[in-house]
Amino acid sequence: MPVVKDHSGRMRKFKNKGKDTDALRRQRAEVSIELRKAKKDEQILKRRSILFCLVDENLSLGEEKRNEIIQLSLEEIVEAVNGSNPELQLQATQATRRMLSRQKDPPINQIIELGIIPKLVEFLTCADNAPLQFEAAWALTNIASGTSDHTKAVVEGGAIPAFISLLSSPHMHISEQSVWALGNIAGDGPLYRDALINCNVIPPLLALVSPVTPVGFLRNITWTLSNLCRNKNPYPPLDAVKKMLPVFICLMEHEDKDIISDSCWAISYLTDGCNDRIQIVVDTGVLSRLVELVARPELIIMTPALRALGNVVTGTDEQTQAAIDAGILAVLPCLLQHAKPTIQKEAAWTLSNIAAGPCWQIQQLITSGLLPPLVELLDKGDFKAQKEAVWAVANFTTGGNVEQVVELVRSGVLKPLLNLLLAKDSKTILVILDTISNIFLAAEKVGEAERLCVLVEELDGLEKIEALQTHDNNMVYRAALNLIERYFSGEETPDLQPGTGQDGLYDFSVEKQDFNF
Amino acid sequence: MELSDANLQTLTEYLKKTLDPDPAIRRPAEKFLESVEGSQNYPLLLLTLLEKSQENVIKVCASVTFKNYIKRNWRIVEDEPNKICESDRIAIKANIVPLMLSSPEQIQKQLSDAISIIGREDFPQKWPDLLTEMVNRFQSGDFHVINGVLRTAHSLFKRYRHEFKSNELWTEIKLVLDAFALPLTNLFKATIELCSTHANDASALKVLFSSLILIAKLFYSLNFQDLPEFFEDNMETWMTNFHSLLTLDNKLLQTDDEEEAGLLELLKSQICDNAALYAQKYDEEFQPYLPRFVTAIWNLLVTTGQEVKYDLLVSNAIQFLASVCERPHYKHLFEDQNTLTSICEKVIVPNMEFRAADEEAFEDNSEEYIRRDLEGSDIDTRRRAACDLVRGLCKFFEGPVTGIFSGYVNSMLQEYAKNPSVNWKHKDAAIYLVTSLASKAQTQKHGITQANELVNLTEFFVNHIQPDLKSASVNEFPVLKADGIKYIMIFRNQVPKEQLLVSVPLLINHLQAESIVVHTYAAHALERLFTMRGTNNTTLITAAEMAPFVEVLLTNLFKALTLPGSSENEYIMKAIMRSFSLLQESIIPYIPSVITQLTQKLLAVSKNPSKPHFNHYMFESICLSIRITCKANPDAVGSFEEALFMVFTEILQNDVQEFIPYVFQVMSLLLEMHKNEIPSSYMALFPHLLQPVLWERTGNIPPLVRLLQAYLERGANTIASAAADKIPGLLGVFQKLIASKANDHQGFYLLNSIIEHMPPESVDQYRKQIFILLFQRLQNSKTTKFIKSFLVFINLYGIKYGALALQEIFDSIQPKMFGMVLEKIIIPEIQKVSGQVEKKICAVGITKILTECPPMMDTEYTKLWTPLLQALIGLFELPEDDTIPDEEHFIDIEDTPGYQTAFSQLAFAGKKEHDPVGQMVNNPRIHLAQSLHKLSTACPGRVPSMLSTSLNAEALQYLQGYLQAASVTLL
Repeated sequence: MPVVKDHSGRMRKFKNKGKDTDALRRQRAEVSIELRKAKKDEQILKRRSILFCLVDENLSLGEEKRNEIIQLSLEEIVEAVNGSNPELQLQATQATRRMLSRQKDPPINQIIELGIIPKLVEFLTCADNAPLQFEAAWALTNIASGTSDHTKAVVEGGAIPAFISLLSSPHMHISEQSVWALGNIAGDGPLYRDALINCNVIPPLLALVSPVTPVGFLRNITWTLSNLCRNKNPYPPLDAVKKMLPVFICLMEHEDKDIISDSCWAISYLTDGCNDRIQIVVDTGVLSRLVELVARPELIIMTPALRALGNVVTGTDEQTQAAIDAGILAVLPCLLQHAKPTIQKEAAWTLSNIAAGPCWQIQQLITSGLLPPLVELLDKGDFKAQKEAVWAVANFTTGGNVEQVVELVRSGVLKPLLNLLLAKDSKTILVILDTISNIFLAAEKVGEAERLCVLVEELDGLEKIEALQTHDNNMVYRAALNLIERYFSGEETPDLQPGTGQDGLYDFSVEKQDFNF
Repeated sequence: MELSDANLQTLTEYLKKTLDPDPAIRRPAEKFLESVEGSQNYPLLLLTLLEKSQENVIKVCASVTFKNYIKRNWRIVEDEPNKICESDRIAIKANIVPLMLSSPEQIQKQLSDAISIIGREDFPQKWPDLLTEMVNRFQSGDFHVINGVLRTAHSLFKRYRHEFKSNELWTEIKLVLDAFALPLTNLFKATIELCSTHANDASALKVLFSSLILIAKLFYSLNFQDLPEFFEDNMETWMTNFHSLLTLDNKLLQTDDEEEAGLLELLKSQICDNAALYAQKYDEEFQPYLPRFVTAIWNLLVTTGQEVKYDLLVSNAIQFLASVCERPHYKHLFEDQNTLTSICEKVIVPNMEFRAADEEAFEDNSEEYIRRDLEGSDIDTRRRAACDLVRGLCKFFEGPVTGIFSGYVNSMLQEYAKNPSVNWKHKDAAIYLVTSLASKAQTQKHGITQANELVNLTEFFVNHIQPDLKSASVNEFPVLKADGIKYIMIFRNQVPKEQLLVSVPLLINHLQAESIVVHTYAAHALERLFTMRGTNNTTLITAAEMAPFVEVLLTNLFKALTLPGSSENEYIMKAIMRSFSLLQESIIPYIPSVITQLTQKLLAVSKNPSKPHFNHYMFESICLSIRITCKANPDAVGSFEEALFMVFTEILQNDVQEFIPYVFQVMSLLLEMHKNEIPSSYMALFPHLLQPVLWERTGNIPPLVRLLQAYLERGANTIASAAADKIPGLLGVFQKLIASKANDHQGFYLLNSIIEHMPPESVDQYRKQIFILLFQRLQNSKTTKFIKSFLVFINLYGIKYGALALQEIFDSIQPKMFGMVLEKIIIPEIQKVSGQVEKKICAVGITKILTECPPMMDTEYTKLWTPLLQALIGLFELPEDDTIPDEEHFIDIEDTPGYQTAFSQLAFAGKKEHDPVGQMVNNPRIHLAQSLHKLSTACPGRVPSMLSTSLNAEALQYLQGYLQAASVTLL
């Protein structure tokens, strides 16, 4: 969950009329701590090859028999692998691969403990024994698909250079398996990612991309390339990024969904960073393609495309404008109403960063008809999405001019916003209280503070704010207290103005201009 | 301090002394303990005592002393010495958990509190083994120990419910989850199993249920910030068990107490909270479980009794349903007609019933009842929860719900009709039901603002509300009377006017009811009706329509103030004020009696003012009496003075601080009513008003300034002739005020009145000093507010004495002073002046400087002529400059004009805005054009040349517009 760095600072800046919109934009925060389960719709970091295994067992029984697969014990495997009989080595490697490919509880740890990884790496170099190379590559792929320790074991076994040279193997299935293994290694983290890049993995990988590359193979390549863009701290080296970017742009035009998806993921990684990195992507002109893709019905495409666009609008006003010019505002309404909560949430996060921009961007947001879906989301959305929508409204009221805030209130934002004061999340409550205070500031400027008071009370907001005066969180209770003191105390005073105005005795009769909330 | 028996003995003796009722013994002992608490081993001595002392009272005393010691000293504050030595800290942390767990409950609670204080500082980094130590105890099987651990854990973890997300916080939570979540889950399962094995053992069950409550609370804390992976994976276990606990009942756990919630209720209530948490935050993951919880919770509601002890559980449970039924994707759970009927019948209706506890409050604690019922402080009540559920259901099912309830309302009304004296509560519920069904939005000020169109409010009013209010006895079924009056009050905007008019005499009649609630509601309802607006900004109910009722209304209102319990009833007093204001001159015949009653009341409450609102409305009523009467007959002011001055004198003499600001305002009003020279009775008081002691109280300042202004307006000549020796004192007040950033604007009000009204010769000798004083403030501590007031004042001065006099007095204080003020203050700041009259004064004053001040034409000041004109045009045409320099942003709101904490301004003592240039100048732009024309005739050619050299084009264009409008040209 993104968080604004210094909340109180944000408000102070506002009151002094010297707001800094960059401070409002919320980067995808570095989540070092996560309580939740890893997100299901993220791109997969590492993959184990189990599919073939299923084929082996279910469909190709006959073939299995022909190959006369013999079940070997771990001791027998060690013995055979370390022996000198190529036939036995192949059998043992195959048996290892088979164990590692079974669906449940592959014995990765035990295999590592057997100490046969160096041997398997050695087999990768047996150019004269393609079957052995293949089985070894497969087995190592599956070991590398495990935990970081597992990957580490493969890398320390010296697999990186061996796999890289196998990229140019004349046997496509070996080359493909190597791509896969390298993807698993790259996915482990920035350290191995950069180790691969330093070993010059990119040129041979890119060389594999061609119009005739089979789709399945191309999927693997795209995925591995995307893993080479992944992770921050540090970012992948700039020249590597620049080499890969044009290829991703091409791949995004492919007709295969998985290829498009992984290319979009790659773009999303490359935009997940400082403004300089975002700029490199913006400069390629890929934003309009991303907007097209975000409107696709397939979740696997929509999700990373939205992620990438969301990242872009965390950038400068100009970068945000580039996304607006590419048409992002036209697709956001649908995304805000998407059935899937995570899409709603990402869309609302994106919107919140656009709302953090200058007035003229906020104006575009209004003219593109985003207020009704935003209000709808605030009212009925999933809680995660509601939280982001609250931020969007907060940013809007901080940066928007009086007319824009009035427009927001007219769109019916108050009711759902006030209802969310019951949210079980202190930060959200605080942001809402600040937002209400912003709306009051705007209302005061047009002399409508009193009508806003009535509206807030009608919507049961007043009693909710009153109840928050006893909240356990200090900042929440103080913010609630401030609002009450400033706008809702001494309810009798305005009331004391005479109700009639026939003669000069009553000066309450000044008609205020219309304020159609 | 050594850990010796001797020290233990000494400590025991001092602890014993701290329990002594005699302060002479207790205090020194407390002091002694404080003086030694910095010594090493002191906390360890306490721990030893609380464990090993022979006397139980010393054990408890030591544990409390220990906890307070920890509270005061454990935190290490930066730049302050560490108050507990490191070895003691280590020893405490090593021993406190086992010690707590082996202690009896009384001591356990103290130690548990101490642990959470230490934990707040040290956990997790500096107390890494705390968690393991706690978790290990789960296996002990001793639930006394386990509950100790759980309680401590709860006090350590409950902050997760309200703190903001941060890396630090989440790191801690993750650590806790890793160590705690699985053992807690296992304990949860084991405890539930034990509950079924011990299903027949009441004392065992009590301990086990205490554990379950704590476990459920811990679940809430641990799941609050986000849904932890562990709990997502184990949702089945938790939710299935929570669900079955919700449906569980055991006779052995039922309590006889009607008020206090029992263990079963507390547990179920917490489970409702847990379910609500998941439903709100983790809807996606919780969806499969939610329908079961809805069913269980509503079954729970159906089977739970009316006793007060169930209130929290019931209102929590209803709120859960209310929050779920509003969500579009759960709509289907409620959609079925039978479901809806059953919820309405079995959940909503029973919880709307008027209970014995309500009846008690109605009779014996009416203030509290009114506050809850009228002012909406009923958030946690069952009625309120039921009402929220109705509103929630109406979001999707307004039609069906209204239909179902209509049936109920009818049958309840029939029940009532059969035997009103027995079944009146049925009617009460029916009215409440109609009210909650019909009201969609409501405010204190306007009542219901949006109503359910499916409910025929008027019909119900005519058929069921009016008959009750028309009944001969105002004291019969007081609750129903109060309901009926409240109905009129809140639906006043929905019921047609003719029905309201029919109600007015009924309400007036009920002012006589004995029940405090009933006559208070009647007064409040009348007050609300009288503030309703009709067309053209008039009141909906006119004075003419009220004519037949004036006498009875006034009589009953004042009589109501004599009813027991209502002698200072603010609702009645407010109704009196509002009636006066509505009825205007038709109250005049009754004024002699009214003012007598008001002064008597004033005299009585001034002995001990305790109801600020009541007092305020009382003074407002007095003001209204004066204004209304004197408007028709100005001479009547004397009779008011006669009636009031006695009491006022007493208030002033007795220094009744709450009332003095009001008295000054009423006196101002009276004085302003005089058309002729100021009466001598006022003059006698004049010197007293200048007493510094009065000006020391901030609340007095605004009304006193106002009063002095009234003196100056009506009696400037008298002051000049008969009280000339008081002028320095008067100016002293001005000086006092001008010295304060908060009150300087009040000082200027006073000064402006002095300049405007006093004969010039009477203040001649002080003028220079006045300016010097102002220049000093300007030099040393100017603020925007000060500058604004200053600008208004100097221009007013110029208008009164002429622009030349202004220039002369400035330059007599210091050469070229006038030019400096023009250049540094007037020209750059004039844009900040706000207020129509203030701007007009400045415009006329500057016009004078431009056109009637020869030095502006032929000295070094000439170069300022065009910039000054440009600034004046800016004042006319540019929007007000409301920028405030940075440092002033932080001046408190109390410092800005118009706001005084201790000052209660009376609306009906209000003063009309005074425009000192009103008669002289109507349109300041035309006035400028004419004045320029006059100047240009006097020195032809000069003005156009000055304009053409440096006035900017836009300003020139505006100016040409003024000249055209005035039909003049410049020569």
